[in-house]
Amino acid sequence: MCGITAIHAYRSDAPRIDAQELEAITERMRPRGPDAGGTWISEDGRTGLGSRRLAIIDLTPEGNQPLHDTTNELAIVFNGEIYNHRELRRRLERMGVRFHSHSDTEVILELYKMHGAGMTDLLRGMFAFCIFDKRARRMFVARDPYGIKPLYFADDGSTIRIASTVKALLAGGAISRTKDPAGIAGFFLTGSVPEPFTIFDSIRAVEAGTSFFVDEQGRTQPRSHYSLSNVFRRGCSQHAFVKLVEPAAQLREFVCESLAYHLVSDVPVGAFLSAGIDSSGLVALTKEVAREPLRTVTLSYDTTRSSAQDESADAERFAQEIGSVHTTRLITREEFLADVPRFFDAMDQPTIDGVNTWFVSKAAAELGLKVAISGIGGDELFGSYPSFSALPRIVRAMSLAERLPAGVPAARSTLRMMSKLGIASPKSPGVAEFGATWGGAYLVKRGLYMPSELHEVMEPDAAEEGMRRLALFERAEKLLEPDPMNGFGRVATLEAALYMRNQLLRDTDWASMAHSLEVRTPLVDAWLLRQLAPLLMHEGRASKQYFAESPRPQLPEYIRNRPKTGFVVPLTTWAALEPDGTSTRMRSWAKRVMREMEN
Amino acid sequence: MFNFQFRKMKLLLLATDIYGGYGGIALYNRDFVAALASHPDCEEVVVVPRIIPNEPEHIPSNVRFVSEAAKSNLAYLRAINALRKERFDLVFCGHVNLLPVARTLSSDAVLLVYGIEAWKPSRNRIRSRLATQIRSVISISEITMRRFLAWTSCDCRQFILPNAIHQDLYRIAPRDPALVARYGLEDKRVLLTVGRVVAAERYKGFDEVIEILGDLPEDVVYVIAGGGNDLPRLKRRARELGVEHRVVFTGLFPEAEKPALYNLADVYVMPSRGEGFGFVLLEAMACGVPVIASRHDGGREAVRDGELGILVDPNNLAAIRMAIIEQLARAEKKIPEGLAYFSFENFKARTHAIVDECRRLVRTSRP
Repeated sequence: MCGITAIHAYRSDAPRIDAQELEAITERMRPRGPDAGGTWISEDGRTGLGSRRLAIIDLTPEGNQPLHDTTNELAIVFNGEIYNHRELRRRLERMGVRFHSHSDTEVILELYKMHGAGMTDLLRGMFAFCIFDKRARRMFVARDPYGIKPLYFADDGSTIRIASTVKALLAGGAISRTKDPAGIAGFFLTGSVPEPFTIFDSIRAVEAGTSFFVDEQGRTQPRSHYSLSNVFRRGCSQHAFVKLVEPAAQLREFVCESLAYHLVSDVPVGAFLSAGIDSSGLVALTKEVAREPLRTVTLSYDTTRSSAQDESADAERFAQEIGSVHTTRLITREEFLADVPRFFDAMDQPTIDGVNTWFVSKAAAELGLKVAISGIGGDELFGSYPSFSALPRIVRAMSLAERLPAGVPAARSTLRMMSKLGIASPKSPGVAEFGATWGGAYLVKRGLYMPSELHEVMEPDAAEEGMRRLALFERAEKLLEPDPMNGFGRVATLEAALYMRNQLLRDTDWASMAHSLEVRTPLVDAWLLRQLAPLLMHEGRASKQYFAESPRPQLPEYIRNRPKTGFVVPLTTWAALEPDGTSTRMRSWAKRVMREMEN
Repeated sequence: MFNFQFRKMKLLLLATDIYGGYGGIALYNRDFVAALASHPDCEEVVVVPRIIPNEPEHIPSNVRFVSEAAKSNLAYLRAINALRKERFDLVFCGHVNLLPVARTLSSDAVLLVYGIEAWKPSRNRIRSRLATQIRSVISISEITMRRFLAWTSCDCRQFILPNAIHQDLYRIAPRDPALVARYGLEDKRVLLTVGRVVAAERYKGFDEVIEILGDLPEDVVYVIAGGGNDLPRLKRRARELGVEHRVVFTGLFPEAEKPALYNLADVYVMPSRGEGFGFVLLEAMACGVPVIASRHDGGREAVRDGELGILVDPNNLAAIRMAIIEQLARAEKKIPEGLAYFSFENFKARTHAIVDECRRLVRTSRP
């Protein structure tokens, strides 16, 4: 778990790279990797790699980066964890490969030597890395299937600069800070900046589940090594497999396997615990798999303490029942206000979320933890968001309206009136506009602002240009190719590729890294999804119940029947948010976030 | 001087098919009975089969094979009734479906479980209920044990007894020219899967290998050795993918040809999802063929968690393809050292230990 940098002057007429820039970019990521750091520049001065390291696997200096292979042909900087690195190492050793460290980084290098770009399919874990082939003067850049680990690049046509964060790239001083209206429009529409955009014109994200080469001609076409929609589609056709085993037993087996992989670490692993099914189930199963004392952490906010939203009492009770060493960390308004400057400094891209992860990571780090297990991704996996039931209804209704004469205008005016009367959300007219397609319905349901409202927060010209370049609705539809075959698969794909990727995972990364904590997400695992897809496609939303039945003993009633509250931060009062027509006042918070990020 | 000696044991096994039977369960049961019969305290093993599909092979001398039980349902009941008059130290129930019969003979019957037959409750409620009351279970693999316990939740004594490999029958040999000619394998590199090709058991991983065949070098062909009603569908699939000329279907083949079939292969690949253990993997390894097994079923245990072969996720086609490339690159045929773990000698020792433990358990539970 680290921060990585790469600068590669790929065109022969590009100037040599600047060592100070490489240092500055790498140094900006110090909190991501406080344990060690290093840079390397090639003999011809045209390629540089940098790394800040948080040591989790192989704590010895042999695991430090940039790492070179035994024959000194390749160099790598890597951020993330490869959970199946021991198996892969064993396979490579059988093929005659000799290693000189115990790190997973060296395994990546050797796999690349053997299998080239295809090696990404063998990696189970979260990863973002750059491998430089010194002889071929070619760089290989790859990112994990879900996009758990971030990676950004700026390519000026002759030199490419790559780093784990947007802010680090900017810290190098060589990249233009011109804003990108597409990224800004994306933020106001969805609450986070959709990949591959950033709020800067010159910086793009390496898209999740893709890899590419940089040779003397520049970047090659990205190769996709994982497709969520395809996984669901394949799952749909595997009837025979689903019938083989009891659903709860199947779920238990696969989640436990994922957990066992996610517990691979040379330092102690803790866990975030709310009173929800996902984190409680995961903590209970971790306890079974790890068979050693587990530290758990819950948050409580002083203004909502002892209210229905407060999860700490149930979490404490549950922790006591399963025997974890539990801490409830109380967060006060004063602490929140004191942390706000650091919070915005750490926030890499504007987002309306992340406060919770910030504080729970802070609490875990205070306990001396370097690694924590989180239940995020459970709602996307088991279909527990309201979108899983709402979207099929919206799409059905609007498809019907489209077929009726004047059906869409009628729906639009009805919804607009309801919205004006305050009996429907301000977004509801968007349902008539975009609700007939899955991507459209999703963006309306999940959206913060509607496209027609963007002029409230952006210059009209910028809003228009941003919308055009963003092409958000088209992008959402493209995510559903090939078609995942049923409503569950379609919503699950959209949730994982949009909300989870652009918001949940990204926020988890920067908010935890700011506290030098590595958050691991056993329910966000490409291999787990492949295994569970047949079951999920056939059982749909019942899967959540099966998950609750997975631990031994099963999760108690007070956890299973608890109304879904999610982590609720008293932002409205603490940040003194103005009314904005929504119950959460997230539009006001979004404006505040954008103001802070522009400063 | 007082000479203390245990009374010799009399054991009973209720089997589905055993001597003269096809397939994995019959083979396992034959080994199991041979191991029981070789226990130093064993006087006699009585074996009652449900069916005898073929001429029974060699039966050990202290085994009484009640072959007349297989003639009809009535004959079976008659045979069971006759056995009620005898006293057995231990009764082994060779299949979940035979639990009601076993219950009439002993309340302490030891159940043997193999694979998918024990992964889910039976549709027959009586059998399922009896399964939850069982006190001792012998499972061919950890995964079958885990899945059996997941639905029975029974608090029973658990024993794992993996398949044995007969290295006298399966060993490295040159390719049989007759088979090479019959299947057109000259100058080809061969991937092999052995198993029934049955629609109801669509979990062997044939589909996955056919799907990636087009991405493998031209000289690589895939031999599917086994018969069954799913063959037409697989042939169609191969045609759709344009690889029909690279897939060889042997259909049902004589058991005696099996070692020679393995010796045709360069890689044995089985990205399956429903194997209780995957003894075919042991047979392939005994013939020095590098294997690729599934991490999601009993195959994982047959290759000892990746120590003896490569484990793949059957859902990850790219990983299967790369594992094949990796195994094809291996220079020479070699029997993995760790295969001795599954030797018949070890199987016998494990069986004897289980028998001793079950006997102790039965003795202490009797008033």
